Amino acid sequence: MLPAMPAEVLFDVADHYPEARVVRTAMTARDWVQVRTVVDPLPPTGRSMLLGVVAEVPGAEETLEKVLADDPQDSTAAAALGRRWTSIGWKIRTSARAEHVSADQFATFHERLRRAEAVLIDGVARNPGDPALWTARLTSGRGLEVGLAEIRRRYDKVIALAPHHLPAQNALLQSLCPKWSGSWELLHPWAREAVLAAPEGSVQGFLVVDAYLEHWIDLAEGEDQRFLSSEPVRNEIYEAARRSVLHPAFGRDYGWVRAASSFALVFSMLGDRASAAAMFRMLGDYAEEYPWHYLGDPATQIRQRRAWALGGAQ
Amino acid sequence: MIRQLDVDGVPTLLAPTTGPAHAGLAFRVGFADEPLYRRGITHLVEHLALYSTGVADYHYNGATGVEYTFFHMQGSEEDLAAFLTGVCSSLRDLPMQRLAVEKDLLQAEANGRNQGAADSMSLWRHGARDFGMPSYPEWGLPAITEDDLRAWVQRYFTRENAVLWLAGEGVPEGLRLDLPSGTRQPAPTPSSALPVTPAYFTANSGVLVWDAEVERAARSSVFAGVLERAMRRELRQEAGLSYTAQANYEPLGADRALVTAVADSLPDKQGAVLGGFVDVLAALRVGRIDEADVTAVVKQRAEALHHAEEQGARLPGQALNLLAGRAVQTADEAIAEMRAVGPAEVAEVAVTASANGLLMAPRTRADWAGFAAAPNRSETAVPGTTYASLEGPDEALVIGPEGVSFMRGGEAATVRFDACAIVRAWPDGARYFVGHDGIAVSIEPTLWAGVAAALPWLDSHIPAALRVDQPPRDPAQIPQPDVSGWPAPQRPGGRVLTKRAAVGLGLMALVLMGVPVALSFAVTDGSLTASDRLAVFVVIVCLVIGAGAVLGVRRFLRRIRRT
Repeated sequence: MLPAMPAEVLFDVADHYPEARVVRTAMTARDWVQVRTVVDPLPPTGRSMLLGVVAEVPGAEETLEKVLADDPQDSTAAAALGRRWTSIGWKIRTSARAEHVSADQFATFHERLRRAEAVLIDGVARNPGDPALWTARLTSGRGLEVGLAEIRRRYDKVIALAPHHLPAQNALLQSLCPKWSGSWELLHPWAREAVLAAPEGSVQGFLVVDAYLEHWIDLAEGEDQRFLSSEPVRNEIYEAARRSVLHPAFGRDYGWVRAASSFALVFSMLGDRASAAAMFRMLGDYAEEYPWHYLGDPATQIRQRRAWALGGAQ
Repeated sequence: MIRQLDVDGVPTLLAPTTGPAHAGLAFRVGFADEPLYRRGITHLVEHLALYSTGVADYHYNGATGVEYTFFHMQGSEEDLAAFLTGVCSSLRDLPMQRLAVEKDLLQAEANGRNQGAADSMSLWRHGARDFGMPSYPEWGLPAITEDDLRAWVQRYFTRENAVLWLAGEGVPEGLRLDLPSGTRQPAPTPSSALPVTPAYFTANSGVLVWDAEVERAARSSVFAGVLERAMRRELRQEAGLSYTAQANYEPLGADRALVTAVADSLPDKQGAVLGGFVDVLAALRVGRIDEADVTAVVKQRAEALHHAEEQGARLPGQALNLLAGRAVQTADEAIAEMRAVGPAEVAEVAVTASANGLLMAPRTRADWAGFAAAPNRSETAVPGTTYASLEGPDEALVIGPEGVSFMRGGEAATVRFDACAIVRAWPDGARYFVGHDGIAVSIEPTLWAGVAAALPWLDSHIPAALRVDQPPRDPAQIPQPDVSGWPAPQRPGGRVLTKRAAVGLGLMALVLMGVPVALSFAVTDGSLTASDRLAVFVVIVCLVIGAGAVLGVRRFLRRIRRT
């Protein structure tokens, strides 16, 4: 019996991780106690990820401001509020390249991010041992262009507190791109090291993929495909895959959807139907928009490439 | 134990000492009292007063500071009496025949002096007036006349405005303080050039400097010590971002004190030094204070006070306290006040300090951390005639009956004649205006179409008192238009618009023209051997610091400068 072809493309993190739905519902109901009950016992990566879910709940800032006013020591609330203001700011900025963002948009974006920083500076001052706060400061700091040295300082704080903290690694990856304050020469070696440093079977492998996809999207048409399929790049991608998504120990840790989704994309671009099929099978209906949005409409792209990969497996 | 006496109408503090006898005569006058167009006059008086003592081999010294000027000597009772009596009679009749030579010496002294990292802080906080003066060179020197000096002495160097300290057995026989009578001159009220605090400006240097005005109290001194320990841990030991990280406490006037923090940065680490500093300060502000730090600082401060008391080194500080209008505090009282400080008190100071801090951000912005940009341009331009730049289409100069404005890209740097601190004037027509707010406008007639012809009109509108004529420049130093400004819209390294750039340009001009560079504490001494110089220097430093505050040693060391 052949496995059924997945029908949907489910981007919602609440589908990927059921506790995300619980947290979102609680935050929507302004039930902060319930949010903390779910979030605080999680491992650092899960906790940071779910605070990202909290930060997407419309109006969350009102509840969180009140919570913090009552208890300035509530580190979880500070991290969530910092991320909420950052998220609000980024929606105003949009994810367009800087040249397509208006001066007014930038002004409001920066103003919201400064709010986020103020909350996070205070939070870190009170609870310097909370990696979720330092992680949140990676994104606010990137938008405020605090510079790579300060971003690295923040990142080093996270990693000292929570090694292989995936949301921080995701954030640093962006800062290390030339579009922010880094360079390819900084980015690729860092991504590879982060992958090799993580235990075998970890989700981290996709950091190498995402780094190369960021590089790929920056290259001219034609050159981009040659770059991605060049031997050194392929070698690094497969090295990362073997330590991660293709490793027997690869499980369902926080971030697994992101990892499988990125690898599915890159395997399909490299024409590796079998590996892409393995990723799509693992994912089922699940997917993450990033980095699929670089190809066009993510759902359409995923359907097409999934059909190609799984069709070939039949 | 300190005894209070009166010597010829001058309030006097006397205390025994375990070392050699020493004495000092201080006046409540310093840079903060000088208008910029007479900047340097106090230091000049100090030099002239010491010239007549002219005795070699004596351990004597004079120093001019922000709020105080003092003459000090170490030696036998006979020497002390002769020295101080001599200084007073000199002040009554300054050796004006030395005026030109002493001006030259002061300029040479300034030329040999390096700029300190924190030197521009007071300008940004206060502008080109009162407590902003330490940022500025002795720009008034060329214009200072004999009458100016006599009037300055008559106002400030009086027995009512003086205090004497004596460390030794008693009042030396033959000591005669024959000073004119006058009135006590309180220190000026500090002006502010910062509409909003905390504020920052970006410096083209890798050094972070932050300062804050706090209550003059033991808790503030402990705060500085705790801040330093936290900075060292965070910036140096843990992250390896800075080599130097320190914080100092310095009393100001009767009730205020300035806490200054300085951190250098390893190459390319400026942003992280700023981030680390912001976090250190925030932690203290929210009360996350290491109790061990507080204990260690309190212990160290208390021991220093105890030691200073034994050496008679608290005397000068207590004497200055009297001048500032504070009561003399015993060592036991000072130590008790110090020991009463705990983490809660330190946190309270941190809250105040954070709110009014001024930050010099190293090659980076600091708005992300809640600091407002300190004003570096004017809100308006003056009405008047507009002159085109010969260097490019983006710049213009406006000269009008109310003042001058430099325009670039829709922004103005304006100096109004009714809010002008100085106009430096060169024979070749160059004019350099500094406003009370510290904003500067430089006019080089060679760089503007038609300005040379407008100079007579401009000069006739400059208030005469503000004008300080300069010696001629080497023709090679007169700028010529750089036509690369046409038609490129932007040219790096353009002329002054920001206050920082203005100061930079001013300083550049100094170097070019051999004019003195800023001093914050000028010291004159007699002819001593090198080792004597060092000894006297250390004594003076200890004396002054020993005072109400054993604090701010390094800052003082940095700021006190020798002739």
